[in-house]
Amino acid sequence: MKHTARGSSHRSGHYRIRIEGRLDPRWVTRFAGMTLAPEDDGTTVITGPVVDQAALHGLLRTLRDLGLPLVSLTRTPTDDPYA
Amino acid sequence: MASPLVGTKLYRPQPRRGLVARPRLSERLERAAEARLTLVSAPAGFGKTTALTAWLAVRPQQDGVAWLSLDEGDAQAASFWTYVITALQGVAPDVGAAVLPLLQSSRAPSEATLATILNELGASPHQLYLVLDDYHLADGPDIAAGMTFLLHHLPPQAHLVISTRADPDLPLARLRASGDLVEVRAADLRFTLAETSAYLTDTAGLELTSDAVAALETRTEGWVSALQLAALSLEGRPDADAFIDHFAGDDRYIVDYLVEEVLSRQPEQLHTFLLQTSVLDRLTAGLCETVTGRPGGGAVLEALERQNLFVIPLDDHRRWYRYHQLFADVLQAHLHRERPDEVADLHRRAGGWYEQAGEPGPAVHHALAAGDVDHAADLVELAIPQLRRDRREATIRGWIEGLPEELVRRRPVLAIGLVGALMAGNDFADVEGRLRDVERWLPALRAGEPLPSEIVVTHQDEVARLPAAVQLYRAALALIGGDLSGTVRHAERAIALSVDDDVIPAGASALAGLAHWTSGDLEAAHRRYAASLGGLQSAGHLSDVLGCTIALADIRIAQGRLGDALATYQAALQLAVRRSGPPLRGTPDMHVGIAQIALERGDLETARQQLRRACDLGEHLGLPQYPYRWRATTAVLRESEGDLAAAMDLLDEAQRVYIGDFSPDVRPLSARIVRVQLARGDVDTAMQWAGAHGPAATDDVSYLHEFAHLTVVRVLLAEYRLRGSEARLDEADALLDRLLASAENGGRRGSVIEVLTLQALTHQARGDLTGALARCERALTMARPEGHVRVFTTEGEPLAALVEACRRPTAREASDHGAPGRRSARTGGGLVDPLSARELEVLRLLATDLDGPGIARHLMVSVNTLRTHTKSIYAKLGVTSRRAAVRRAQQLDLLSTPSGR
Repeated sequence: MKHTARGSSHRSGHYRIRIEGRLDPRWVTRFAGMTLAPEDDGTTVITGPVVDQAALHGLLRTLRDLGLPLVSLTRTPTDDPYA
Repeated sequence: MASPLVGTKLYRPQPRRGLVARPRLSERLERAAEARLTLVSAPAGFGKTTALTAWLAVRPQQDGVAWLSLDEGDAQAASFWTYVITALQGVAPDVGAAVLPLLQSSRAPSEATLATILNELGASPHQLYLVLDDYHLADGPDIAAGMTFLLHHLPPQAHLVISTRADPDLPLARLRASGDLVEVRAADLRFTLAETSAYLTDTAGLELTSDAVAALETRTEGWVSALQLAALSLEGRPDADAFIDHFAGDDRYIVDYLVEEVLSRQPEQLHTFLLQTSVLDRLTAGLCETVTGRPGGGAVLEALERQNLFVIPLDDHRRWYRYHQLFADVLQAHLHRERPDEVADLHRRAGGWYEQAGEPGPAVHHALAAGDVDHAADLVELAIPQLRRDRREATIRGWIEGLPEELVRRRPVLAIGLVGALMAGNDFADVEGRLRDVERWLPALRAGEPLPSEIVVTHQDEVARLPAAVQLYRAALALIGGDLSGTVRHAERAIALSVDDDVIPAGASALAGLAHWTSGDLEAAHRRYAASLGGLQSAGHLSDVLGCTIALADIRIAQGRLGDALATYQAALQLAVRRSGPPLRGTPDMHVGIAQIALERGDLETARQQLRRACDLGEHLGLPQYPYRWRATTAVLRESEGDLAAAMDLLDEAQRVYIGDFSPDVRPLSARIVRVQLARGDVDTAMQWAGAHGPAATDDVSYLHEFAHLTVVRVLLAEYRLRGSEARLDEADALLDRLLASAENGGRRGSVIEVLTLQALTHQARGDLTGALARCERALTMARPEGHVRVFTTEGEPLAALVEACRRPTAREASDHGAPGRRSARTGGGLVDPLSARELEVLRLLATDLDGPGIARHLMVSVNTLRTHTKSIYAKLGVTSRRAAVRRAQQLDLLSTPSGR
C-alpha cells in the first residue's frame, strides 16, 4: 500500500458514507460527484470524492437536514475508489 | 437594517389547532420554568417548534416570551446579539436600549455589555423566556463564548430555550449535572402508538384499522413529518389499506416516497408552483408571482397553508412564508430532475425581484445560484459603500469571498473592499497580494479614460477612491510592520490622492500620527491627529472623534500642557452631550481623561467625581481601552489618597483587562506596578523587575522607554537608600542627565519636571543641598503655569522637605497635599488658599435658604463679622455672588460634612 503523505487528511479524499434508509439514485443531483448504492440491509452507501474537510461537513449537514440517520463514515485510499 | 424580513424572524408561530395531546411531553417542558436552559434537540421534522409553541401557549399571561428564528446570517456575533436584544425588547422594553447601537459597529459584545443586558433582565418582575429557534444555523465559535457567558449568569427569572437539529456548543454536561438543563430529544418527540392513533383518527380524520395504524407507526417510527405526509396521502383515498401495505413494504427514504405521493395528487398548476418556488428561502405573493410567471401567488400560499402542505407562516399578516425544510429539499430534488433547464432562470427571476425590493443580500445569493457571477459581483460592488458606512465589514467579506477568485481579481473595487474588510478583522495574510493586484491596474484607471478590457468596474464613483485607499492600506501595513517612515510616506500620499472624501484622509492622518508618536515627534503627531479629528468630525464619525481625542490629550500631557489637554477633553465632551439620542460610545473615556489631568494637578476631588461619572455611564459605553484606563487612573487616585494596597489591586485588575492596540505603550503597566511597590517599601521586588525586565541604566534613552527608565532611576535611588551603595547613585545621575537631554529635546515638559525632581533627590542624597534646592526650584517654576502637583507628592518626605524649603505659593499647595500616607485635613479642596473651618461653616449655611441675618444669628455672630467671612470666602473661591459661591462649593465638594469616609 502506498504510504500516504503527511497532511493528506486536509486534501481531497474518497469517502464512503452509509445512511439508514434507501435513497433513490435520482438524489444524486443533490450530491454532485457521488454515487448512491442501495444495499440489501436497507441502507444506502454514498461514495465519491470530497475535496476537503469543509466539503465533507457540508455533505454531512445535508444528510442531517434530510433526516437521514448516519450509520458510518470511512475514508478510502484514493487509488482504490471502488473499495 | 430594517427590512420586512426582520419582523418575520421575531414572529412567534401560533399553535396549531387540533393537535394531539401529549401529556408526557408537556410535563417535561413544564420543568423549563425551573431550568436555565431547555434544549429541544432533534432532526428536522420532529415537531420541535410545534411542541414549543403548544407549551408556550399555556404560560401564565404575565410571562414574557421572546421568540427569535435564527438563520445562517446570525452565525455572526453582531447580527446574532442585535436580534437577541431586539427580541427581548419585545417583552422587556428597557433591555439593551443603551447597548444596541454599539453592536452595529463592533464585532462581538464584550462581557461588560452582556452583563448590562443580564442586569436589565434581572430587573424584570416576571418570568422571561428567550426562545432561539433553529439554533444550529447560528451555532459557531463567534457566538458560543457569549452564549456560555449569558447562560452562566442568567438571573433566576430568565430562561433560555433552544430548539436545534444538532446539540449546541454549550456546557451541557455541566448544566445536566447541576440540574439546570431540561432536555427534549428525538426519543421524547416521537409519537407513540397511542399518539399516532390519535393523530390519524382525530386530527387527520381518517378511519383506519388498528393494524393499519400499527403499520404506519412502525414505518414512520413516530416521525411526525412522515405521519403528516402519510395522512395527506391517505386523504380521500379509497384504497387506504393497499396504500399502507405498499408503503410499509417499501424501504425508500420515507420523505421522498411520501412527498412524491402528495405531489402526484396535486393539480398541475399547484405541482408546478411547488417545484418552481422551491428555490426560494422565503415566500411572498409578489416573489412567487415573479418566479412562476403567474398571478395569484397570495391565494396559492393561503391555500397551501389551509391544506397543511408544509408551508409555515412567518408573520401574522400572512405576507411571508417558508417551506418546511424537508418538503423543500424533496421539492428541489424533483425540480432538478423534472425541469433542470429552468433552475437557473428561476433563480434569476428571484434575484431580480429582490433587487427591485432593495435587498442586495438575497439578490446576490440568487444571482450566484443562477450562475450569473458577474451580475452578483455587480450587486456586491454597488452595495459596498453603504455597507462600509454601516461598518458591516464582515458582511462585505462574506459576500466577496463567496464570489469566484478570478472574478475578484478582475474587479479592483471588490479587491479593495475585501482588503478593507480583512484589515478591519485584523486578518493581514492575503492583503499584500491583493493590494499589488489593484496597484497594477491603477495607472489604467484614469478618470474619463476607457477601462482596459481585463478589468471590470460597476460602481464608477468608487474608482476615484481607489488610489487613496491603496495608499491608506499600505500605510497601515507599514505601521504593523514597524516601518514608521513608510507609514508617514504612504499616509501623505493617501491624503494627497483623496478626492471628495473625509474618511480616508482622516484615517491616513491618524496612522501618520501614530507613527510620529511612536518615534517621539510629539508636535508632528499632534498636528496629524488634529487633522484626523477634523476629518472624522466632518464625516460624522463621532465615536472616532472621541477616540482621537484621547490620543491628542495624551500627547499634550506628555508635553506637559495640561491646560490644553483638559480643553481637548472638554471640547469632546461638549460634542458628545450636544447630540440627542443614546449616549455616545467613548463618553466615559473623556471623564477618565479629565480625571487623569486632575490627578496630575493634585485635584483629587475632581478626579473622584469624574471617575464616578464615568462609572455611572457604564463600561459598555467605553472604547476598547476603557476598562484598562479607568482602573489605571483610579489606581493613581488611590495612591494619592495613600491607599497603596487598593492601588496595587487595581493595577493587577488593569493587567487582566489590558488590550494592546497600535498606540505606543508609553506608560507600561509593569513599570507602574513597580512604582507602587517602591512606595510600599518593597524594594526587593522592584529590584527584581529592574534586573529582569527593566531597561539597563546604560541603554539608549528614547521616548518609548522614558517611563521605564525613570522607574529604573527610582529603583536605583531606593537601592541606594537601602544599601548605601554610591555606585547606584552614580548610575542614577548618569541616566538622569541623558533623560533630561532627551526630554528637553523632545519637548516633554512633564518629563523634564520629573527628571528635575529626581535629580534634586540624588543631590540631596549626596548632601549637596544647594544643588538639590536649585533643581527643585526649577522644577517648581516649570510646574506652576500648568499646575503640575502630583510629580512632587509621589516621592515622600525627602522631596516634600525640599519643596517646603523652596517656599513658593505652589510649594504651599504641594505640601498641603502631603506625602502619600500622610492624610491632610480636607479643608482646602484643592484651592491655592484653603478656607478655614469657620469659613466652611459659613459656606454651608450660604447653601441654605437662610438670609444674611438668619445665618449670623445661627452662628451667633454679628452681621458685620459675617460680611467679613463672606468676603474672604468669595475671594478665595474666586466668585462675586452668593449663588456663584454655592455653585463653586458644590463643584469642589466642600458642602459635605468633614467627617471623613
